[in-house]
Amino acid sequence: MKMSHRSSLALLGIVALLLASTLLFLYLKSSSNQTSTYTESRYLISRMKQLNAQWETEILKARIDTNHNYDPLVTPLTEMTQLWERFDTMESSHGRNESPVWRASHDAYLGAFEEKSRLVEQFKSHNAVLRNSLAFLPTAEDDIQQPLARLLDSDKLQLQNIATDTYDLLLSGLEFAQVTSDDKAADILVGLNKLSVNKLRLPVQFHRPIDILSNHVALILREQPVVNRLLENIEAIPVAERLDDITDLLNKDQQQAVAIDQRYHFYMLVFSVLLVLLLVYMAIHLMRSFTVINRVNKALQTANDDLEHRVEERTRELKDTQSELLDTARLAGMAEIATNVLHNVGNVLNSVNISADLVSRKLRSSKAQGLGKAMQLINAHPGDLGTFLTQDEKGKLLPGYLNQLVDAIALEQHSMTDELAQLTKSVDHIKDIVATQQSYAGANNLTEPLHISELLEDALRMNSGALTRHHVTVIKEYNDVPQVMGDKHRLLLILINLISNAKYAMSDLSNRPRQMTLGVKIVEDATLQISVKDDGEGIAPENMTRIFAHGFTTRKEGHGFGLHSCALAAIEMNGHLSAHSDGPGKGALFTLQIPLKTVTEQA
Amino acid sequence: MSPLLYCLLLVPLLGLSAGAVGEPLNEPLKPLPAATQQDPQRVELGRQLFNETRLSVNNSLSCASCHHLENGGADDKAFSIGFNGQPVTINTPSVFNASLNFRQFWNGRADTLETQVHTVVQSPSEMGSNWDHVVQTLSADPAYHRAFADAYPDGVTQLNVQNALATYERTLLSYNSRFDQYLKGNTDILTLEEKYGYQRFKDYGCITCHQGVNIGGNMFQKFGVMGDYFKTRGNPTETDLGRYLVTKDEEDRNVFKVPSLRNVAVTAPYFHDGSAKTLEDAVDVMFTFQLGRVPSADDKGLIIQFLKTLTGEWEGKPL
Repeated sequence: MKMSHRSSLALLGIVALLLASTLLFLYLKSSSNQTSTYTESRYLISRMKQLNAQWETEILKARIDTNHNYDPLVTPLTEMTQLWERFDTMESSHGRNESPVWRASHDAYLGAFEEKSRLVEQFKSHNAVLRNSLAFLPTAEDDIQQPLARLLDSDKLQLQNIATDTYDLLLSGLEFAQVTSDDKAADILVGLNKLSVNKLRLPVQFHRPIDILSNHVALILREQPVVNRLLENIEAIPVAERLDDITDLLNKDQQQAVAIDQRYHFYMLVFSVLLVLLLVYMAIHLMRSFTVINRVNKALQTANDDLEHRVEERTRELKDTQSELLDTARLAGMAEIATNVLHNVGNVLNSVNISADLVSRKLRSSKAQGLGKAMQLINAHPGDLGTFLTQDEKGKLLPGYLNQLVDAIALEQHSMTDELAQLTKSVDHIKDIVATQQSYAGANNLTEPLHISELLEDALRMNSGALTRHHVTVIKEYNDVPQVMGDKHRLLLILINLISNAKYAMSDLSNRPRQMTLGVKIVEDATLQISVKDDGEGIAPENMTRIFAHGFTTRKEGHGFGLHSCALAAIEMNGHLSAHSDGPGKGALFTLQIPLKTVTEQA
Repeated sequence: MSPLLYCLLLVPLLGLSAGAVGEPLNEPLKPLPAATQQDPQRVELGRQLFNETRLSVNNSLSCASCHHLENGGADDKAFSIGFNGQPVTINTPSVFNASLNFRQFWNGRADTLETQVHTVVQSPSEMGSNWDHVVQTLSADPAYHRAFADAYPDGVTQLNVQNALATYERTLLSYNSRFDQYLKGNTDILTLEEKYGYQRFKDYGCITCHQGVNIGGNMFQKFGVMGDYFKTRGNPTETDLGRYLVTKDEEDRNVFKVPSLRNVAVTAPYFHDGSAKTLEDAVDVMFTFQLGRVPSADDKGLIIQFLKTLTGEWEGKPL
C-alpha cells in the first residue's frame, strides 16, 4: 500500500515535470530572441546603406566641386567598416555565418565594398589633380596671354592667331571636362599641336608658360576619362544591392523565424487547451471525490458520535467500578490497618496479660490470708486475749507472726505496684498504637525528643516476660548516642517486632545458649543505626527477598505482617530496614537505619 | 552662486579677454578634433611599451628610438637605423596625429595603428622580432604582467600589446598650433605674411592634396604627376614603387599616401626617401613634380612661413 503510494507520487511528479518542460520548451521556441537581433541587424544594414549613399553623394560633390576636403570621403568608409564588424560579430554569434547563403552574401558585400573603396581611392587621386589643373587652366592661359599682349615688336596677326589658338585650347580643355568625347579629345590634341608649333615661333620666355599650360591640358586629357571611368565603375559597384541582399536574407530569415514562432505559438495554444481540458477533467474528478469524501465524512461523524457516546457510557461505568473498587480498597486497607493494629495490640496485650496474670497469681497466694488466720485466733480468745498472747503457746507466737506478715505484705505490695505500673505502660502503648493508626489518615511523623537506649529498654521490658521464659540473654552494645528527634511509636513498633522475631527465631535452639545482641551507633554522623542480632534459625537465601513482603511468614501462627509493617514504618521515617543472614541456622541480623536528627540540631 | 549664473558671467569675460576669438572659420583645412576618451590604464601601458626596447629582437630599439616625441615624432635621419644597425629603406613618418591618417605607412599598407604596430615589430629591417618572443618577454616581467592584467581581461597577448600601443598613439595629437588657433577663430594669431602664405597654399593647389583635418593623410597620390621625379632624382629603389608593392596594380606605381603637413617644420628630412633636407627643397619638388607650376620666390617664402604655423604642442611645449 505504502509502496504503491510512493510510486504513484513519483509518477505524478514525473508527469508534472514533463508537462512543465514541454510548456517551457514551447515557450522558448515561440519567443526566440532573434527578433531583437533582427531589429539590430536591420538597423546596422540600413545605417550602412545610408553611409554608402552619403559616400556616393560626397563622391559626386567632389567630382563637380572644388571643395578641397576629402575627409568626408574617408569617414563613411571607416564608419561602415565599424558597423560591418558589429553586424558580423552579432550575426556570427547567432551562428548564421555557417550557412553558405549567408557566407556568400557576406563575401559578396565585402568584395563589392573593397572594390568600391579601391576605386574611390583612385578617384580621389585622379580627381584631385584633374580639378587642380582645371582650376589652374585659366591662370595658365592668362600667364601666356598677358605677356603676349605686351609683345610689341612682332607680327600682330601671328600673335592674334597664337592668342586665339591658346584660347581655343583653354576652351577645348574646359569643354572636355564637361563633355568627354573623342571629338573633343581630338580638338585638344590639335590644340596642343598648334601650341607646340606656336611655341617655336615665340621668344624663349614663353616656352615655360606654354609647357606648363600644355602639361596641364595634357593632364586633363589624360585624367578626365580616367575619372569618368572610375565614376562609372564606382556607380556600377552594387554595394547597396549587396546590402539589400543581406536585408532580404534577414527578412527571409525573420519570416521563417516568425513562421516557426507562430507554429510554436499554435502548438502552445493546442497544448494549453489540452492542459485546460485536463484541468477541467481533474476539477470534475475532484468535485466527485469531494462529494464522496463528504459522504464518508458524514458517516464517520455519525460513527464518531456513536463511539463517543459509548465511550462516555463506558467511562461512567468505569467510574462506578472504580469507586466500587476504591471502596473495596478502602475496606481492604482498613482491614489491613486493623490487622496491623490488632497484631501490635496483640503483642502488647501479651504483656498486659502476663502482668495481670502475675498480679492475680500474687493476690491468690497473698500472705494477707495469714492475717485472717491470726484474726481467727484472736477472735477465739475475746476475754483472755492478754493471757492468750502471753501464756498460750500459739498466742505467744502470734506477734512475731504478725510482724513477719507485715513485712511480707509490704513486699507483696511493692512488687504488685511495679507490675501494675508495667501494666499501665502497656495499656499506654496500646493507646499509642490506636492513636497512631488513627493518625495514619491524617498527620503522621510525630517526632519527639528520645533517648534511644530508654526506648530499647522499654521494648525489652515489653518482651521481658517471654525473654525470661525462653532464657534469652540480651547483650547490649550501645554506643554513646545523643538525644534524637524520632517517632517514638514507630521506633518502638519496629524494635518490639524485631526483638520478638529474634526471640522466636531462637525458640528451637537447644544446643547452645540463646543470645540476642542489641546495637546502637551513629554512622558517618548522619545516620542512626539500630541493630538486632540473633543466632537462631537464620534466613534461607530464597526467602531473603520476600521476608518484608506482606503475608510472608515462617511461623505456623504468624500472619506475615510484622516485618512488613516494620519496613513500611522505616520508610515512613525516611529510613530503611534491612536483613542479613549467612544462611539457615546461622542467625540473622536486622538493621534499622534512619536519618540522624539530634535534638540540639533541631534547636 | 549658481554654476549657470557663473557661466553667464564668465562667458562675456572670456570673450573680452580673448579679444579676437570669433566664429570658427569655414576652411577646407580643419583644426584637430577633441581627443576621444581613452582608457588611462591602457594609455599608460602603451606609453611604457612605446619606450620598450624589448619589443625589438635584440633589445636595441623601441618605437621611441625612431619616433622622437620631443622632435616632431619622426627621425632626423633620412633613414632610421634598424635593430641590426642597417638603415631602413624608407623615411620615418611622424607618429604625431598618425591616428588621423586614413591609412598607415607611406604606401598605406596598414588600415589601422594596430596593424602598423604588428608590421613594425615583425619587420626584418626594423625591430626584427616576433610575437611569441615579445609576449613571452613581457609576460616574464612582473610589472608588465600586472599592468596588462589590470588593463585587459586576458593579460599579455599580441592583440593587447598592439592595442595598448595604438591606444597610446591615439593620444599623440599636437594640439594648439597657431594655425589651429587661427582656424578656431583667433585670426589675429597669424601674421599678414602667414595669412598670405595660406592664401598661396590654396591658390597654387597645394591644398588639392594636403587637406582635411590632418592637412594631408586622407588620400593617395602619384609622386610625379607633372614629371618623372624618380628619373630626375636617379637611383630608383624598390620602395619608390610605393603602393604598387601593396596592390601590384600598374595604376599604383609610385603612388604614396599624401603625408600630413602638421608639424612639417620640425620633421625634416622630407619625402619617403628623405631626399629633401629643408622645407625649401621640399616645396620646390612639390611645385615641380606635383603642381607643374613655378611660384614666385615671394610666394614660396610665404608658403613656407605658412607651413611653420602648423607646428603644434606636445605636453605643453611647442614641438
